[in-house]
Amino acid sequence: MYRKTMKRIKVDVKREVLRANDMLAETLRREWKDRGILVVNLLSSPGSGKTALLERTVEALKDKYRVLVLEGDIDTERDAERIRAKGVEAVQITTGGTCHLEANMVMRAWEEVSGEDWDFLFIENVGNLICPAGFDLGEHLRVVLISVPEGDDKPAKYPKAFMTSRWLVLTKMDLLPYFDFSPEKVIEEARRLRPDLRVFRTSAKTGEGIDEWVEALEETLHALRETGLSAG
Amino acid sequence: MHELTILQAIYLSLERVARQYGARRVVSFKLEIGEMANVVPELLEDAFKVLKAAEPLLKDARMEYEIVPLTLMCLECGYTGPWRDRTVACPECGSAIVRVIDGEDILLRDVELDVPEDHEEDKG
Repeated sequence: MYRKTMKRIKVDVKREVLRANDMLAETLRREWKDRGILVVNLLSSPGSGKTALLERTVEALKDKYRVLVLEGDIDTERDAERIRAKGVEAVQITTGGTCHLEANMVMRAWEEVSGEDWDFLFIENVGNLICPAGFDLGEHLRVVLISVPEGDDKPAKYPKAFMTSRWLVLTKMDLLPYFDFSPEKVIEEARRLRPDLRVFRTSAKTGEGIDEWVEALEETLHALRETGLSAG
Repeated sequence: MHELTILQAIYLSLERVARQYGARRVVSFKLEIGEMANVVPELLEDAFKVLKAAEPLLKDARMEYEIVPLTLMCLECGYTGPWRDRTVACPECGSAIVRVIDGEDILLRDVELDVPEDHEEDKG
């Protein structure tokens, strides 16, 4: 029987495994920057109040700005419907079981609405503090949320989410009297991972801290347009 | 649970290398997994078993990995090395002006292939 002789070779490819995702993310980031659209990626555990914060945010921004929301979820259109009820366009991305968004999913959703002009694009990631932290979506600003009821040990347990985020939003601050939660401890631990982390203390229920958060978003949009760099 | 996504990305890279060298089988490959890459090696191994069963290219392949610690470079005193106390600050001078230079990515390194003797490398 004829058999080809084989040789064994070793190739050092030195290839970053997620490079395809990162390259796509970079392309999106450039397109958004060139068009003057500030893109914000929101990360948190399930139930931390990402959608509630977004409801407040779009209410505050929608009269002055064109606001778009991409809602990442494993299944269901529920979060997108909550945003649409506020009179703002939302595109639901259902990941079909995947626990995080990837740049290609965002690109497909973006293509549906990229013909229009926007000022703000908010991406609500799948509720999960682990996997979303590893996937760049092309955002200019990554924001991590922690709610008072979920406890103040999150930065230590999920360091990557805090290392890669520029802003931290503490949510459900109206519940502070009922929980053993120390905002100071969270902030201190988070800043060990990200020394320049900017912190907001908010409650979507009472409206606490929402004005400050919205103003910071507006400032960042203007900084992106004026200098090409995102402030914050 | 994004280990399967990561392995699919690894598979695409392996497939490309195998095609370039005309190999039908991957013998082994090595990964450098950053401490802060958010990958659980045990889950990666489970996902690898699934992929091995599905892809002839990997039928007899061996996966090796090495964990790379999160590595900082201090822009003030020049310290370069692993972080300490799980704090992104210089362990020598305490400065917060540091850059993370390693330990965040997953890198595909040495790929061992069985290649026919007469195969010319496809440079395209």
